[in-house]
Amino acid sequence: MGYLFDMLFDKYYAKGTMTGKENIATTELAATEARVLLALEEEGGKWNQRTLSAKTGINEDAVMQTAFMLAKQGLCEIEEEKKVYYRLTEEGRAYAEDGLPERRALYFLIDRNGATVEELRDAFGDEVKIAINWLLKKNWARIEKRGEERYLIPTIVLEESLSGIDEEILNFVSGGATERGTLADRIKNSGILLTEEELNGFLSQLSSRNLVDSYSRVEREIAISEAGEEEILSRRGISVEDEIAQLTPELLRTGSWKGRKFKRYDVNLASKEVFPAKIHPYQRLLDRMRRIFTEMGFVEIKGEAVQSAFWNFDALFVPQDHPAREMQDTFYLAARKRIEASDDLIEKVKQMHEHGGSLNSTGWGGEWKRELGEELLLRTHTTAVTLSYLASHPEPPVKVFCIDRVYRRETIDPTHIPEFDQLEGIVMDKGVTFSNLLGCLATFYNKMGFPSIRFRPGYFPYTEPSVEVEVYMAERGWIELGGAGIFREEVTNPVGVDYPVLAWGLGIGRLAMISLGLTDIRDLYQPDIDWLRNARSFR
Amino acid sequence: MPVIRLPYDDLEHLTGVSIEKIKERLPLMCADVERMETDYMDVEFFPNRPDLFSVEGVSRALRQFLDVKPGLVSYEIAKSGIEMVVDSSVLDVRPYVVCGAVKNLRLDSSAIESLMLLQEHLHRGVGRNRKKVSVGVHDLAKVKPPFRYLAVGPEFSFVPLDYEEEMTMAEILERHPKGVAYRYILEGKSKYPLILDSEGNVLSFPPIINAERTRVTESTKDIFIDVTGLNEDVSIALNIIACALAERGGQIQSVLLRSLSGTVGRIEEKETPCLEPGTMEISVKDVKSLIGIELSAEECKRCCERMGLGAEVPVSAPAQVSEMPDTISGEETLVVKIPAYRYDILHPWDIIEDIAIGYGYDRIKPEIPETVVIGEVHPIEEKKSAIRGIMTGLGYFEVLTFTLTSEKKQFERMRQNPFSGLEGQRFGSLVSRKGKPLHLSDVVKVASPISTEHTILRYSILPNLLDTLSLNKHRDLPQRIFEVGPVVLNYKEEYRLAAVSIHANANFAEVKSVVDAVLKELGLEDAEVVESENEAFLEGRRADIVRAGKQVGVFGEIHPEVILNFGLSYPVVGFEVEI
Repeated sequence: MGYLFDMLFDKYYAKGTMTGKENIATTELAATEARVLLALEEEGGKWNQRTLSAKTGINEDAVMQTAFMLAKQGLCEIEEEKKVYYRLTEEGRAYAEDGLPERRALYFLIDRNGATVEELRDAFGDEVKIAINWLLKKNWARIEKRGEERYLIPTIVLEESLSGIDEEILNFVSGGATERGTLADRIKNSGILLTEEELNGFLSQLSSRNLVDSYSRVEREIAISEAGEEEILSRRGISVEDEIAQLTPELLRTGSWKGRKFKRYDVNLASKEVFPAKIHPYQRLLDRMRRIFTEMGFVEIKGEAVQSAFWNFDALFVPQDHPAREMQDTFYLAARKRIEASDDLIEKVKQMHEHGGSLNSTGWGGEWKRELGEELLLRTHTTAVTLSYLASHPEPPVKVFCIDRVYRRETIDPTHIPEFDQLEGIVMDKGVTFSNLLGCLATFYNKMGFPSIRFRPGYFPYTEPSVEVEVYMAERGWIELGGAGIFREEVTNPVGVDYPVLAWGLGIGRLAMISLGLTDIRDLYQPDIDWLRNARSFR
Repeated sequence: MPVIRLPYDDLEHLTGVSIEKIKERLPLMCADVERMETDYMDVEFFPNRPDLFSVEGVSRALRQFLDVKPGLVSYEIAKSGIEMVVDSSVLDVRPYVVCGAVKNLRLDSSAIESLMLLQEHLHRGVGRNRKKVSVGVHDLAKVKPPFRYLAVGPEFSFVPLDYEEEMTMAEILERHPKGVAYRYILEGKSKYPLILDSEGNVLSFPPIINAERTRVTESTKDIFIDVTGLNEDVSIALNIIACALAERGGQIQSVLLRSLSGTVGRIEEKETPCLEPGTMEISVKDVKSLIGIELSAEECKRCCERMGLGAEVPVSAPAQVSEMPDTISGEETLVVKIPAYRYDILHPWDIIEDIAIGYGYDRIKPEIPETVVIGEVHPIEEKKSAIRGIMTGLGYFEVLTFTLTSEKKQFERMRQNPFSGLEGQRFGSLVSRKGKPLHLSDVVKVASPISTEHTILRYSILPNLLDTLSLNKHRDLPQRIFEVGPVVLNYKEEYRLAAVSIHANANFAEVKSVVDAVLKELGLEDAEVVESENEAFLEGRRADIVRAGKQVGVFGEIHPEVILNFGLSYPVVGFEVEI
């Protein structure tokens, strides 16, 4: 409840003393308000919520809420002050009893007129580091090397070793949580002169040693205002009528609510915020894409994140020495596995790479090595999935899509992450053309809310012709969102597909950043719960 | 992909077209404009078009594309009379070599810079970081032909580029920045490649460094080019450089390569460069069936010419058809001439793409394909979607996290302790695979992680959720989150639902209610709940979900150590279950 009051307070009043700014008609003072106001008038002076609650018999939260209502009407004044309290931590408590480690070590040293680090360690165990550290910091001892041994020599005598201010403070707060004002008074009364800054310095030193911690509490005092007194005078005989606060089953059953007053509520008072649990906004975007493609008559497919280089690269006619295949760009697993393809298919892919197979193609030349195809990796694109689907469904028509994670060995920064989602799709059928490819892409982006689209030549090792898609956004200009093309015959021939395959692989991250208003793509996968709470479900 | 800087004045001078027009049309040729400044633009060209890696090459392509001078460019080649003798000693080191000369050049500083950058881009792309192909350009006036290409021992010394004193080849590999960068190519070789002139002066030490002696400067008039490498791609690099220099007004001259001892890298005796265009025949019908636009042979020809290809429509008298077996009778064909600097034409479709670009992608009308298939969401996605409904209904927010994670988060922080050194040792798996104990070797490990945070694929989602909570410590409690997605075990994906709840009163009863509700909603009421031994949870407050004798899930109060390991300070309950 304290939370609710703070919020109310912040909403209506900015500074310490508050008096009502609005002169609201007060003819309908509620019963609790009247009770509180009368109590304030009777006793005079300032009250905190606890004492006022005891006096009126109304619980503390309700007293405070009522006081706010009265203050809003100008009938009372609320003074608030933020008080800071200090208390000992567990460690602090131990030291307050036994003395700080450096204090005990100092006595130990004075007693022996110096000691080696080893001797100190024997005597102080785990505390030895702390002890030495502070002995040196406080100039109570110095280190002297005698032969191989390091000695700690006390620099002060017993008579000089007065209790330090930090130790005094520990002592002052040892009785339990101590308010700062009270602490300052105790220090002053003991004859120590400290400025605010010096006190802060000691307190922060103690807190960084984890001996003292602090917390703050807002404390409020309530007093009747002149307007409040006038109100009582002008309405002499102000009565405490019992109003209904909460409608209960009891009241309903007995009918005793009839003819009685219901306490009036201020409908503008801020209520506690609640948030509906929701699906991640990025997931909703993915689902929207999924819906668009199913509406366009595509079947969704899935495949494994771990793929062989064969399906990820070789079957796509990516030459074995292509830079994208290097360790620098691809997550390899340092493991090999039999390629999940028939020997016949593997042989055809080999022929295609080496000399263009049975096609009118030159291939890449050189020798194609099967063991490089057996390397396992995290798929760098979902094309590995669509292509192996094609290999097992070579008969037309095929219209499939796949939305899934892909992995690239990118150094992480606000626009690059090592794993992200990709939207892949293919159409394979008799008579489909490049213009059909553009048609699919244009429809998709139109449905995603981009009316202006342009197509530019692109390059991918496994498509020909290739195209890049850009959408136009006011203030940003043309933004590149995806790549597409028709699978080369060098790709489709070995898997036994005889018709053109229109294919695209669209990066979703950029689109998501734009449509969710993010500047850092990492936020998609490292969710800030408040961002999720406040993200709108519908735009 | 290589980014080429194109100064506007150079571009206008070489093309004769206004910069405004270039800015408008260049993106439709085959380039990504990276940025436009007041006096230059940076343009990214595709790796399959090394002929565009210089302002000269781009200007040539623009002249063709913008109809200033369309069609095949033929460069005159004269014989230089220079000989290059190839010694068989290079056979084991770097067997391929081609050479050429370009004369009567007037090079200003921007032309030299363009040449050097072109060379670097060729090294990176076609040359695969100089391994497959490397290029040297030299001031011809500083050396005396005939030249010799041979392999010598590492103690041979000369003055390398950018240095003043002689260094042995071994020292160059040891100390010279280029030597350090590229010595991996010569690793394990006892002899190194070298090009010498008739007086024993060094031209270059391929693929590492040229000699300082032959440095190209603004006073250089005649250039000698050597290209060495591991395969035939040496020719394309030579052709691209020679043609680019010819665009600057130079005259290309050929060099006679001669092998003394039979064939070296397929050379006995030949003149290089050879700029004879390649030929490919395409069917006009294929243009329509691939692109979807109706073009006549004449129109296709014009589109080819706009892309710098030569094209001829053969006069197909019936008698001739039978003599040309490549031509299918009755079909219109186009004989296309491919300039010797093009690297990307492997297949007729490459030409058809050029025709589409020449026609203009902006003029191709997008049409929805007529293919009819009934759309369908994948069953697992249907299920995930239903689960999202259940979990949000129970008050849990959905989160998405990375599947790449670390042993530290998945094992150590979760008290799973797999590092006893016993391969295949069972560890208290969150959910074991198919009811069998989980083995360490089932976890997918990345060979070269990019950071210590991303070393394995997750085998459990719960640690990711705890990690998410730790990122949200400063946010109001309670926090309830879930994720439904894949984990990967033994290279196979499997789908899981996991959820956690953190607040001061989180307890076993809360998570048990949620698990019961989820199992009921998913129709898994037959699942049994038995006491678990999972160390991530508190003893006596943890349970396994077992179905048909197989463990499919786990839930309970997260162990205090785990809570602290993730830097959290409130009780957490959670569950994970296969779906």
